[in-house]
Parts: sequence; C-alpha cells; structure tokens
Amino acid sequence: MQQVADPSSANAITNEYLQSLVQDGRVHSRAYTNQAIFDLEIDRIFHRSWIYIGHESEVPKPGDYQARPMGRTPVILVRGKDKQVRVLVNRCRHRGAQVVEAESGNTRMFRCWYHGWTYELTGALAEVTEKGGYGPDFKMENMGLVEVPRVASHRGFVFASIQLEGESLADFLGGAAAQFDMLVDASPTGEIFLDAGANKTEYHGNWKLVGMDGYHPNFVHASVVAGWARNSESGIGAMHREDPFSDEALTLTRDYGNGHAMLDFRAQRLKSYKKHAEFLSKVPGGTQYVDDMHKAYGKERAELLISLSGDPHLGVFPNLQLIGHQVRIITPIAPGITQVTMSMVRLGGVSDEINTMRVRQHESFYGPAGSGSPDDAEIFERVQRGMAAEVNPWIEISRGMHREFVDTDGSVVGRITDEVPQRGQMKYWLQLMTQAA
Amino acid sequence: MDNQKLAQWAALREVELFLFREAQLADEHQYKEWFALWTEQLLYWVPCNSDEEAVGRKIALINDNRPELDERLFRLGTKFAHAQNPKSRLSRVIGNVVLQEWDADRGGRVTSRFNLTEVRAGRQLTFAGRQTHLLERQNGVLRMREKHVFLANHDIPMPNLTFII
Repeated sequence: MQQVADPSSANAITNEYLQSLVQDGRVHSRAYTNQAIFDLEIDRIFHRSWIYIGHESEVPKPGDYQARPMGRTPVILVRGKDKQVRVLVNRCRHRGAQVVEAESGNTRMFRCWYHGWTYELTGALAEVTEKGGYGPDFKMENMGLVEVPRVASHRGFVFASIQLEGESLADFLGGAAAQFDMLVDASPTGEIFLDAGANKTEYHGNWKLVGMDGYHPNFVHASVVAGWARNSESGIGAMHREDPFSDEALTLTRDYGNGHAMLDFRAQRLKSYKKHAEFLSKVPGGTQYVDDMHKAYGKERAELLISLSGDPHLGVFPNLQLIGHQVRIITPIAPGITQVTMSMVRLGGVSDEINTMRVRQHESFYGPAGSGSPDDAEIFERVQRGMAAEVNPWIEISRGMHREFVDTDGSVVGRITDEVPQRGQMKYWLQLMTQAA
Repeated sequence: MDNQKLAQWAALREVELFLFREAQLADEHQYKEWFALWTEQLLYWVPCNSDEEAVGRKIALINDNRPELDERLFRLGTKFAHAQNPKSRLSRVIGNVVLQEWDADRGGRVTSRFNLTEVRAGRQLTFAGRQTHLLERQNGVLRMREKHVFLANHDIPMPNLTFII
C-alpha cells in the first residue's frame, strides 16, 4: 500500500484512501486513531445510519423524556400527549441552547431559558416571548424543534436516522431483527422494562473496539475464569457452563451483514438446559417461570429462551449491543474516548427474585467495578496506546477466514474464536464511509 | 469537662482511628487484612445513578455479600486482574466523621466523607463522596457489618473502579 500522510481534515480523505485502510483480513490502525477519520465517522455513520436512541419502556407516560446523544447531535426521546414517541433535536431554534438539561424526566413542554421560547412535546413552537419583535415573515410553524426525520422501532427499541431517505429499519436490521426476540421473549409476557438503572462507563479507546469477540474471554477475563474454578455458579458463571470459548465448543460467531454480528451461544447453552432449569428452580418463582415460558412459547422454543437467559449477545452497528442482561449504548466521544451505557433489563411477568438475581449476576461481571468490564476497558486502552505505533500499522483480523461459511439464513458463520464479527463490522464501516451523501 | 463529654470524644476518636486504619489498608491493597475488618454477615454496597437508600432492585456498582466480596478479593489477588496490573497508587483522606447512633458496648452507625486520589496508567483521578459504616463491637473489637459508599460521580460515565473504595 502506498503510504499516505496522516490526513488532517475530513475533506482531505478520499474513498481510495479509506479503501486502502480496510484490506482482506487486516485494518490500518488509523481507522481507530485518526481525528479526521473520526469526524467523517460522525458525519457518514452516526448522522446518516439508523442509530439506537432508547427503549419505549424508558418513556412510558406522555411527557416522559430521555436526553440522548446521536453522534454529536443531542436529541430528546419523548412521548407526546398522543402517546407517540418522537426524537427531537435538543437545540432551541432561536440561539441554539439545549432546551433539556436533565438526563430524563417528565414535562408538559420544553422551555428554553435563554429567552423563554417554549415548545410542545411534539416540538412545535408554542410561544415566543415579546413576539412583537418579529415581522410577518416569522412563521411559528416553521420554527419548531427539529424532528429527526426517520424514527422506527423494533420490539420497543427506538431507532432514528438523520438522513431523509434510506432503507427501512427492517431492511437495515435484516437477520439480526429476529435475535431481538431472544431478549424480549425471555419474558413469558414478551415485555421488558429498562427501569432498573444503568452502569455508565468510559474508556480511553476507540468506539469500534467494543465489538463482539469470542476469542478474548479466557485471557482478558482469566481472573474471572479462575474464580469459576472455585464456584461454577457464581455470578454469570451460571450462564456459561463448560468452556464456551474454546474452538471445540458449539458456540459460533455470526455476521448478519450491515455490521451486525453475534456470538451465538444458542446450541451451546441449550445443551445445559436441564442444569440451568435446576439452577432456576432454586430461585423463588423459578419453577413458575419455567412453566410460564413453556405455556407461552411451547417446549422447544421455551427451552432455548430459558437456556439463553435473554442474552442474544448481539451487536447492532454502530451503537447498540444486547449482551447479558443489559442493553448497551456505545457513544463515540473522540478517536480515543468512548462511553458505554449499560441499562439493566427487567423482565415482565417474572418474580421479583428472578429479576433481582439477574441484577446481581450483571453487577458481578459488568460496570466500572464488575469483574469483567474493567479488564475489557483496560485492554482497549492498551490497544489504543499500542496503535500509536505505525511502523507496521496493521490490525490483524484474518482469524478463521479459511473456515467461515455462509449459513442457510445468509449469515456468515465461524467458530467462537474467529474474527467473523470484526470483518463484518469493518466491511460495513467501509461501505458507509465511502458512500456518497 | 464532664465525663459524658469525655466518653463521647473517646468514642469518636476510636471510630476515627478505625476508619483511618480501614482507609490505609484499602489504599495499600492489603486485601486480607482489610477483609478481616468485617463481621461474618456483611454488605459492601456502592450504588450508582442515585443516592436512594434502597439496596437490591436497581443496579449498583458493588453489592457484595461475604462470598461475593471474598471472590472480588480473590480475583484481585490473582495475576490476571489486568485493570489492577500495575496497581493504582491511592491516597484517601477521611473527614467529617459523625457518630449518628452509638452505643459504647455494641457500636452503631457512622457517617463520614472521603476524598481519594488515584494515579494509574499516566492518569490522576479524584473520587469523592460520603460513606456510612455500620460498626459492631465483637469481643471488644470494632468490625464492619455494612459499608455504603455514595460516590459524587456515580451518575456520569466512570472510569474503572477496581480498587477498594
């Protein structure tokens, strides 16, 4: 490859240059470290593609809102008096101040406290103070909070896109859409609620590092694995029976296209269904849960859903992950700074004790003080520091290229330690980055 | 000064010295000695998102009973706790110690504030907050039954918190 000087502005980056960074089985580390490329990612990925904003259960009542980031754009997820969920840009149309400062709450309208303009929950401009200062050309109806043009939801997960036109959310999710069921249908009533708090974390590394990787657990999480040798049902150990991260395991990596990828634990966990049902029977309401799941979904599907514990281990490009008992939002702050919010999932139709047990399992591994997440963050930071070396700048992601295959549903499949997810992610990354506006 | 006042001062001083020793063992990563400060039944609780005094239903940063805390310390003691390899250099100051309810023979509830500096991986960070200790006197010796830590930064994106807080 021809060496290109580190581009200093997004305008200087050509499609040919971007293509030279993503090659067969390897990626140039500048894709993770360069500021101009990061700026382009915000424009071409986060301000165009479908971005996960929040779950409908986070705004249950009219007036409920959540302030969320969408790339660099602050937005408000809000439920109107008409019960409809909208995504509004959090920016007063007058002089640009945010109209919402709290992270969440309930309100009758949005008020900008710079000069007192007020907006309806739909974003419509309700009142301008001292209106006589504006002439006949000032049209209230043109001055509402900007509504993000495309909003769609799948099983309660609300996505939005700033691009006026593009593929539907269903087309975008493709084969990954069905995997949302593995989470939502872990509830016998098919209801989940994101109302049990969130761990908010930040690491000094690129946002693309927090992907689906089935090769790392035995090394990054060696201290946790050592703990499972003392007590196999401790924490999330109860979900991982035998070693799911060896090449001999029934676990798989799966690339659904459009950057969506999954660590597929289904067959591996189903093998331990009986042990898992026995584990649940020790929790108050556990036996009832197993019965209710069978009634709701039939034996075969119930056993799969129960075995999986609501953990599809799915990454939806670019900013959503359904992992463990949490819904994760990934927010890029800078090439070397990323925030990850892990919102706890509460299952509907199950005993409080089951939900509490799930909260404890989550805490044991995830969050800033868990046994797992901090070591992930530590390793991402080591990667980010190492990537400053450009003597040989290539990130190697070729593992399993010789043995991957296309499944009947069209997804690309590899063994659990293979880098199928990384290749799928960077293939779609390149597609979005080189696409004309 | 009357005897009652002197007794109150002595009680406060004893508790302060206990908290200072706990802080020192935590700062120095002396896991075994720190673990020995606890009673058999224990709760080590560090909530996030809000200061609401409700243990359980909502997600926390740390919510350990004895086996869980034992596992946390075991893990930190292995060679593979990467986020603590190398270890954080820590320095904390405990202040504003107030005995909320106190019985000379049995112990009670103590509140205090802390300010902690962490240096690791080229970064210097500050953690601050308030803490509540439930202390219990056993065979004349004070031990911790519960420790609740309310971090000032528990609702913003946080870096790793892999040392004893």
